[in-house]
Amino acid sequence: MDVLSGWWDDFFWGSVVVAQVFLASLVLMVLFGLIGAAAKLSGSRIAHKIANGYTIVFRGTPEILVILLLYFGSAITLTAIAQLFNPDIKFLDVPPFWAGTIAIALIVGGYATETFRGAFLGVKPGSIEAAQALGMSGFQVFIYVRVPEMWRLALPAFGNHMLSLIKNTALISIIGLNETLFVAKQAIGTTGQPFIMYIMVGVIYLGFSSVITLTVMALEHYGNRHMRVTT
Amino acid sequence: MSFDVTLIFAALPKILMGIGLTFQLLILSGVLGLALAVVLMLMRVSGKWYLSWPAQVYIYVFRGTPILVQIFIVYYGFPQLEFIREGILWPIFRDPFGCAIVALTLNTGAYVSEILRGGVLGVDRGILEAGEALGLNRRQRFTYLTTPIAARLALPAYGNDVISLLKSTALASTITLADMTGIARTIVAQTYAPYEIFISLAIIYMIITFFIQKLMARVERWLGRYTLRTGKT
Amino acid sequence: MSATHPLIRMRHVGKHFGTFKALNDINLEVTKGERIVVCGPSGSGKSTMIRCINRLEKHDEGQIFIGDIELTDKLRDLNAVRREVGMVFQSFNLFPHMTILKNLMLAQKLVRKTPKAEAREVAMHYLNRVKIPEQADKYPIQLSGGQQQRVAIARALCMKPEVMLFDEPTSALDPEMINEVLDVMIGLAKDGMTMICVTHEMGFARSVADRVIFMDAGEIVEQGTPDTFFSAPENERTKLFLSQILSH
Repeated sequence: MDVLSGWWDDFFWGSVVVAQVFLASLVLMVLFGLIGAAAKLSGSRIAHKIANGYTIVFRGTPEILVILLLYFGSAITLTAIAQLFNPDIKFLDVPPFWAGTIAIALIVGGYATETFRGAFLGVKPGSIEAAQALGMSGFQVFIYVRVPEMWRLALPAFGNHMLSLIKNTALISIIGLNETLFVAKQAIGTTGQPFIMYIMVGVIYLGFSSVITLTVMALEHYGNRHMRVTT
Repeated sequence: MSFDVTLIFAALPKILMGIGLTFQLLILSGVLGLALAVVLMLMRVSGKWYLSWPAQVYIYVFRGTPILVQIFIVYYGFPQLEFIREGILWPIFRDPFGCAIVALTLNTGAYVSEILRGGVLGVDRGILEAGEALGLNRRQRFTYLTTPIAARLALPAYGNDVISLLKSTALASTITLADMTGIARTIVAQTYAPYEIFISLAIIYMIITFFIQKLMARVERWLGRYTLRTGKT
Repeated sequence: MSATHPLIRMRHVGKHFGTFKALNDINLEVTKGERIVVCGPSGSGKSTMIRCINRLEKHDEGQIFIGDIELTDKLRDLNAVRREVGMVFQSFNLFPHMTILKNLMLAQKLVRKTPKAEAREVAMHYLNRVKIPEQADKYPIQLSGGQQQRVAIARALCMKPEVMLFDEPTSALDPEMINEVLDVMIGLAKDGMTMICVTHEMGFARSVADRVIFMDAGEIVEQGTPDTFFSAPENERTKLFLSQILSH
């Protein structure tokens, strides 16, 4: 265990990076998911086809491949553009943080599209009709009837999406992001203790996923409070 | 900057040489993982705490950590341990293919066991009660009633997991295996052509995914033939 | 079992679900050949009571005897008891993944170890009895509700039980299908099958029952022959219930 001493700091900062990637990709994932769901629910055939294409591409492609493609592809493009202005530039890349974050947000967003779409369709038409019959405006129906129920229906699957995000963060170490797995590789270089270092990474990720799972459970409990029989 | 299509035609055969390895990883881990999943699921639903708890902990750990970390622990970490190096399973752990199979199996086993459990829990209680009332014992109910119905219920989610497994096989490239992704990465490093190569690779994976989905749909139709009012298969 | 020795005996039987007392001091004896109808409002414990008889629910207090065998946790061969007690459920509970014929044959093969050919004969015999032999190779989903329930009755009969329990057998059926099921049950009663039937079908009770039992809030409030029960109920609660269900 004392072989870890000296590395606690680095693992800590690596964990901070994991948290940062998680939060950034979470926002983007929700955005992509909502846009995709909206496209599929809209009447437009073109939007529907594009959204379908989006889900098919990002659900059928290995995550590591998306990350590599986004990172190296954008780097090549960026370098080529930069070289037009300054021929001395050898390599310009999108920071691995952003290439990776956008990549995993796109991937999980593909799944989130289906989740949000299903949740939207799962709201009982009766509730919506009742609200409309009471004279509520379209916007009010959306905010007070649709959104709360959608959220409740989507929560379990959404929890899984969040877990996917946090676990996919480890893949971004492959393109040089200095999160915990990357730190572990460096630590192994100097200490020669791969087992304990990688176990450490596992423990850190297990910690993150546990926090997410507990949070989702609490939210589900709260969200279902009107559904529980209290006799 | 140009998009060199000829590069694709040159690279494609090389990449496809890795498809054998990709499928070996997929099928071997898939089958072993399914067997493991059945064991774990039976432990989970057994009702006996000394079986259920270890299974729960196992599932929790393997679903809560990234598969890449699991692969690294097996490939880089295990050889560090003496009892592994001197154990009879050493030939497996010494070899990157063996390590990949072990890690993928352990991982997919955890996910699939929860899917199977979902199927088992989804069986209508009334049907099991009817079996009880007729005098069927626990094993008979599980074999003749629960298993066929649960299998059909679990199939969609299981199909998704097979596709996840396919995507996970790409990670074998991180431990020197020359599967399709591994070969592609080598080519990109030599040619500096990520778009052409990686997009081609992505298309190949998508095609395989498509065929897996078609296969799953077929199995779903066959298993669900009693749900159709027309009685046609 | 002799003609007067009770088939089923329930003594001071009680059951709770958490804090809710579902059954309270139930005393009941059923002799061979008796046809009993149990009625009462929702939540009165009627279903719970008959489900205790084949131990789909476990009673917490008192004793239940099927013949000479007492139902306890220590009972080694519960399934030997269940072979003799047939049950028909409100929601039919046919095995959806098996044909009608297989539905009827499964328990015969697994529980009574009947050889396949004989099981098939028995199955077709009872399928004829409930008047739908042509449905043998169909799947449950292809049958109407009334047909499914008749199959469920046949399935229970294939085990040749000593007593049949019916848990609201027609409550989930569309009105036009209720009679076809009741006809089968009346036929069974006429052939001397011992039966306990939880139902709201008072016409059936009047024509077939030897005894009608009224339950409310987990207790047996009143019982009697159909004549006395319907024309001169003694208890206030019984009168209230009858006025509610017989008015339309």
